Amino acid sequence: MNLTYIDWLIMLVYFAFVLGIGFALKRYMRTSNDFFLAGRSIPAWVCGLAFISANLGAQEVMGMGASGAKYGIVTSHFYWIGAIPAMCFLAIFMMPFYYGSKARSVPEYLRMRFDEKTRAVNAFSFAFMTVVSSGISMYAMALLIQTLGLFKGILPDAYIFHVSIIVSAVIVLGYIFLGGLTSAIYNEVLQFFLIVAGFAPLVWIGLRNVGGWQGIKQTLPASMTHSWRGMEHANTNPLGVEWIGLTMGLGFVLSFGYWCTNFLVVQRAMAAPSEEAARRVPLIAAIPKMFLPILVILPGLIAVSVTSHVAGTPAAAGTSTTLPLDAAHPHGIVPIKTDPITGANVVDSSGQLVYDYNLTVPALLLHYFPTGILGLGLTALLASFMSGMAGNVTAFNTVWTYDIYQAYIHKKGTDEHYLWMGRMATVGGVLLSIGAAYAVTSFNNIMDALQLVFAVINAPLFATFLLGMFWKRTTGHAAFTGLVTGTLGAVLHHGLTLPLGDAAGIHGGWIHVVYQYPSEMAQNFWTAIFAFAINLVVTIVISLVTQPRPEPELVGLVYSLTPKPVETHLEWYQKPSTLAIAVLLVAAALNVIFR
Amino acid sequence: MGLDIRIPLGLIFLSIGGIMTVYGAFTYGDAALYERSLGVNLNLVWGCIMLVFGAIMFYVGKRQKWQDDPVTPRPWEHDPNAKPRH
Repeated sequence: MNLTYIDWLIMLVYFAFVLGIGFALKRYMRTSNDFFLAGRSIPAWVCGLAFISANLGAQEVMGMGASGAKYGIVTSHFYWIGAIPAMCFLAIFMMPFYYGSKARSVPEYLRMRFDEKTRAVNAFSFAFMTVVSSGISMYAMALLIQTLGLFKGILPDAYIFHVSIIVSAVIVLGYIFLGGLTSAIYNEVLQFFLIVAGFAPLVWIGLRNVGGWQGIKQTLPASMTHSWRGMEHANTNPLGVEWIGLTMGLGFVLSFGYWCTNFLVVQRAMAAPSEEAARRVPLIAAIPKMFLPILVILPGLIAVSVTSHVAGTPAAAGTSTTLPLDAAHPHGIVPIKTDPITGANVVDSSGQLVYDYNLTVPALLLHYFPTGILGLGLTALLASFMSGMAGNVTAFNTVWTYDIYQAYIHKKGTDEHYLWMGRMATVGGVLLSIGAAYAVTSFNNIMDALQLVFAVINAPLFATFLLGMFWKRTTGHAAFTGLVTGTLGAVLHHGLTLPLGDAAGIHGGWIHVVYQYPSEMAQNFWTAIFAFAINLVVTIVISLVTQPRPEPELVGLVYSLTPKPVETHLEWYQKPSTLAIAVLLVAAALNVIFR
Repeated sequence: MGLDIRIPLGLIFLSIGGIMTVYGAFTYGDAALYERSLGVNLNLVWGCIMLVFGAIMFYVGKRQKWQDDPVTPRPWEHDPNAKPRH
């Protein structure tokens, strides 16, 4: 790849701003509250953009582009079903407890509502998850930089991967170390706008090239341009999931488990200055979130609609010819997978060439962007990696300091001490991420790997929160047992089932293959459904045989015992519920339009 | 926080948009360069859009700037309406 000084200059400007924000905010970090909760002082719209940006990491941008190219518009279910309803639920029903209870983190809410051991399970599993996610981001970024040959000719090939990891780690560490959560949130907002600025022209030119949405519809098979077609049965749609698995697994268990209980996103809403503002955060976030498929999924569809035409080297690594479109699996300009070390093409067991769908978006950038704006496109891509990493690192340092260090290691430190610990935890978190980045190698599709981690850790979690917040009878022992058995259930389910076409091992079936799912995604969704159901049943049963906490202790923590948020001073159109209904209606309309 | 996000946001868009606009102006009419983007001078067009966005953000951020002083209380620290819910 040929980058000119202009492209490098644009990327340098971005990195200068990222670190500059950290330095500018350093003097405002007076207390641990400033560092971990941004002093609860960030305007709702800023939190809202950070809320989606923290999630708009590389897994999202590259993974969604890849899924768009592979499966089509059906990928937008990850947004319209897999995010919007959960975000509305968080805003309307759950935010009052997170914010109103004065908990500083999600695990801390669990301690207030249940007990120490439930918090411990959540805190440790969450800390582990953030480090792994951040490591995956880092790994993916380094791999991308290496595959694109960004530093080719500047650095010896053998060092590119390691240098990329170290440089990204140092930058993320730098700005969080200096400015804490505020710095992370500000940078996420910056990253959000850069991602929009970098991808919008790509979609614009791409659509012009392929003849707009109508052109895509004519080129691609109908299954790729309709999100609900063939959902009655797993064999008749590209995802390999039937509608029950999709709506229950993704739309309910996984998405509510993620958006409503994951401290990574909830932390952004908790930085808002009032409960009212905090409730508005996920709703503000939902508005751009609904339309993100235009920026992250549509490029995938454009990439597979492009046949050989306009000049310019189409693909990234190694491919110089565009192959003809194949009716069932068009690949357009998706590059052939090559081994990053040897440069040879990768072939599957039957000798067929393998397409590297994860490179769809970068390949499209190189296809359409001339030098200059190419720097902006790459900046957007790097920004998405950074925001993914930073979100995890800030969530990690807070949970580590408040829920692990303060809870079990050093209880009565001064605030200054915890501020210092937060900074040290940032260093530690980044170091652990680097370790995780080197450990992550066996997964090909980043999305699937993350879904598996979510399924095992997050899926049972929502049952615990649902019962904890809406059933005052739920007890701490029950929550703990339910959570642990739910997680074990997820592991067991994964060990007993296997997606069709996979060998027993990392993809499942490592105990015994009892059932085969039509796809890995179906397996993930059903793992989540089982984990949730097991947790729900176990928690209810044990709650009924254990002693509940006295009701006065639960005020502010349980729905039926907490006064409803006062909304009388708000006009009807200012109320969170009005906004939520509007958001849900638009999301429903999008489903109908692209059905 | 004392720093309004719209200021750095405006500045980064002004800087990057500026670089792209200038580069786009210098390469105006360079058909070979813009063949990839179907003949559209993306640097100039998109650079200008970014400049406008950056200018608006910077202007709004400057106008509504909070007290940039870490010692005096911030606006939300003595808000008469901010009382606990219970």
